[in-house]
Amino acid sequence: MKYKVCIIGGGIIGTAIAYFLGKMGETSVAVFEKRYLSSGATGRCGGGIRQQWSTEANVRLAMRSVQFFERFKEEVGMDIEYRQGGYLLLSYSEEEAQQFEKNVKMQREQGLEVEILSPKMVKEKYPYINTEGVVLATFCPTDGHANPHKATFGYAKAAEKMGIEIYTHTEVNEIDVENGKVKGIQTSKGYFECDVLVNAAGAWSREVGKMAGVELPTESYRHQIFVTEPLKYFFPFMAISFSKNFYIRQALHGQFIMGQGDKDEKPGINENVTFKFEKEMAKKMTKIFPFLENVRILRHWSGEYNMSPDAQPILGKSNEVENFYYAVGFSGHGFMLAPAVGEAIAEMILLGKPVHSDISYLDKDRFKKGIVQEKNVV
Amino acid sequence: MVKKVQALVIGAGPAGLCGSIAMAESGVEVLVVDEGIKPGGQLPKQTHKFFGHEGFFASIRGFEIGDKLYKRAIDLKVKFKMKTTVSGIYEDGIVLYDRDKEEAYDIKADFILIATGASERFISFKKNYLPGVYGAGAVQTLMNQYRVLPGKDFLIVGAGNIGLIVAYQLLQAGANVKAIVEASDKVGGYLVHANKVKKMGVPILLRHTIVEAIGEDKVRGAVISEVDEKFRPIKGTEKELVVDNICLAVGLQPSVELAAQARAKIEYIPELGGYVPYRDENMKTSVDNVYIAGDIASIEEASTAMIEGYIAGYNIAQKVTGKDLSEKIEKMKIELEEFRRGPFSLKVRRGLKKFGINYPEGGYRTEQQKDDGPAGKLRVKIECPQNIPCNPCETSCPTGAISVGGNINGIPHVNYDKCIGCGVCVMKCPGLAIFLIQEQEKHSIVGIPYEFELPEAQERVLLLNKNGEIVGEGEVEKVVKNNKGKTHIVFLKIPKGLENEVRHFSKIKLEDDEIVCRCEEITKSQIEEAINEGFTDFEELRRYLRISMGPCGGRVCRLQTLSIISMKTGIPISELESGRFRPPSIPISFKAIIRGDEKDEI
Repeated sequence: MKYKVCIIGGGIIGTAIAYFLGKMGETSVAVFEKRYLSSGATGRCGGGIRQQWSTEANVRLAMRSVQFFERFKEEVGMDIEYRQGGYLLLSYSEEEAQQFEKNVKMQREQGLEVEILSPKMVKEKYPYINTEGVVLATFCPTDGHANPHKATFGYAKAAEKMGIEIYTHTEVNEIDVENGKVKGIQTSKGYFECDVLVNAAGAWSREVGKMAGVELPTESYRHQIFVTEPLKYFFPFMAISFSKNFYIRQALHGQFIMGQGDKDEKPGINENVTFKFEKEMAKKMTKIFPFLENVRILRHWSGEYNMSPDAQPILGKSNEVENFYYAVGFSGHGFMLAPAVGEAIAEMILLGKPVHSDISYLDKDRFKKGIVQEKNVV
Repeated sequence: MVKKVQALVIGAGPAGLCGSIAMAESGVEVLVVDEGIKPGGQLPKQTHKFFGHEGFFASIRGFEIGDKLYKRAIDLKVKFKMKTTVSGIYEDGIVLYDRDKEEAYDIKADFILIATGASERFISFKKNYLPGVYGAGAVQTLMNQYRVLPGKDFLIVGAGNIGLIVAYQLLQAGANVKAIVEASDKVGGYLVHANKVKKMGVPILLRHTIVEAIGEDKVRGAVISEVDEKFRPIKGTEKELVVDNICLAVGLQPSVELAAQARAKIEYIPELGGYVPYRDENMKTSVDNVYIAGDIASIEEASTAMIEGYIAGYNIAQKVTGKDLSEKIEKMKIELEEFRRGPFSLKVRRGLKKFGINYPEGGYRTEQQKDDGPAGKLRVKIECPQNIPCNPCETSCPTGAISVGGNINGIPHVNYDKCIGCGVCVMKCPGLAIFLIQEQEKHSIVGIPYEFELPEAQERVLLLNKNGEIVGEGEVEKVVKNNKGKTHIVFLKIPKGLENEVRHFSKIKLEDDEIVCRCEEITKSQIEEAINEGFTDFEELRRYLRISMGPCGGRVCRLQTLSIISMKTGIPISELESGRFRPPSIPISFKAIIRGDEKDEI
């Protein structure tokens, strides 16, 4: 069996690339997923779609993605519960507030509409938030959230309709490289030849890179998240704080989804959960969002952030293996960047270079020049 | 002027009808009197096929037997007076009470054949006076003759043939049978009858009885309990059932009143059903011109009632006409002897011994067939483990492949070299105890005798074993209709290895409002639609539809959803991924976690 493009990973990135390849007319494409669609980080993430980043490039990539999310239902054909309720970023120190103001200036230069709110304004707008300790907040009304499973399913189904194959429960065991070129892949369902191979393996990106002999500087870290019972819908935005280390949103269905990072996590794949997380979250979140006190937690799970050294994605084409592409290291924000990344990688494969987004600064060779950290990460 | 007949037959059931036929055949003038609306006695109420041999209408449904016998009698110019009760046999005459015309008048008869049958026994329990407590016969009359279902949810008391048959008929009529309770430690009726209801999921609770009916104005429930060796309810074992009908099928007692009034000697012979008239082997009572036949003589079944009717009838005819009918009488006696050799006639043999009438026992095959025949060939599998006097399988087989081994009580065996898998015996067997099986390359086929609303070919069904438990799911391959006998054959495609397990099936309900995930109110059709769209993993369905994302965490819907996936995709549940089991297993509030964290001790 031969496909022009084989994609490893049935998460949002892999399916988005497949979808954009199909849209651009290339349907000799197959996606290989070792479990089921959205089984990795995509299906475990908070579903936020944010444009308020601290680096220009990230802002532009996110803005491009939002354009696609806005048209997702019409273009891709699935209702992904997309809601542009905004992102409220809360700062809790002077230093953080200054950084926010700097970011907003840069973001506005990129054409993004962002407001700066004083604690009083936050209190007036959202009386159910305890603003104690808040120094300043920023709010971007076109930020939002969506259902990441449905977005993955949407891309996958649309791709399948165009004739692209999606192989679930199919594990890639070996990448067949000859003379600096990928010839094919050995999977649990047999051997597939390909002209181009894309690594969109998320948490497993480094291992997949190794199979092709390409070293990718990514590490996976567990992030935990839980969801409450549904409440009446009243909380349309995503609230997030980097210094307080949390994010929270209410899904259209009514349940609150929230999480935090943990500096003490060791790298590696770990899908277990800890009660420590629930304790820390319960204390922190009821303080800032007192209405949560009597709300019950329904389900608690974890997923992997595939971290890159600067917390920005690694996108591009390998120098070592000429037809090996990668879209990895999303560091916890792959879902929100997926449409623009999918488009850019598809363009790279078919046209030689990305047309609509500049992703050259996200190549893995950037780390040779030193690391500029993306700060806006939970 | 007082009318006189040569022979009066009291009761137009199978015994009375056959008696009248025997007499009329020989030229005797016969009047049959019966209080019912329709001749046939209990036969018009019986929608099941009868056992026995084809000479006595085996494999024909009860109501049809009644019609056939009545027609034969009418052809022979037998006179009938229906809706007429014999209100007494007096010294000076027999009084007939025509209920329609409100007339009571007396007649005389040279000979009387009393074939009054039996009446139902009752048992006492608290509040057994409530409307909703019925005898099985009453339930059958209402349901099968008047087409009125006297309830929705039934408790049946007694697992003899009548209790089992009524249960099956109730299921056919669309009622629920919550349970059959039986005080003894075994099913009294034929196992094949029991299997018909067990495979439909009706529990037969042995060593159980009813202790109380619940309700003020009518039956709203029943309390049942276990019983000890002396049939006394054991305290503390009571259970409540929500039913609106308690149907008593606890046995029959001979209706001997008229025989007694005719001065026939009555004796108490429990093996024959209680008080019975003494009679000799020609069915003559202690009174020279009074004969009896059927259940009044001993509680048995329709075949023996018919034979006794003939014996009595020919004997009367012989006396009336002076013809020698001994050959016919002898033939019937041999029939009766053959029927009564089996284990189900043990009590009758013992009872009749007390009258000095001896019937031989044994002489029939008891060994079960060991082999199932050659795998891969479409062939029958007979599951008839008891020595029932019945042989339509043998007599209906067009290739002579089935034999009960001589005596009618024998266990049927199949000669698999001769069996062509035609299914005629499957449609004939009154016990619905013959199945067709065939192992195929990827699946197996089982053909099931079926008397309910037929499924469509290709319809997916739940496969049930003989206890009504789900053993898997399959698909209807085809339906072979039997317009005459009404026992159809449904051929099912089933997973390999289940050929000897699958004995029934139930249709998979496809109502749109059938909710699988109760927390999130996800319906079965939504799930099936999503599977059609290509979401064939539990986790994919969960993420797509929110199945098991509610407070119960999937306790209610996980397995159900997996079954739906399995049925739609053909992948056994054991090979599907179960999906994640995420904590907390019950919803926990933020407050509880905070409070717990502040505590120092356990």
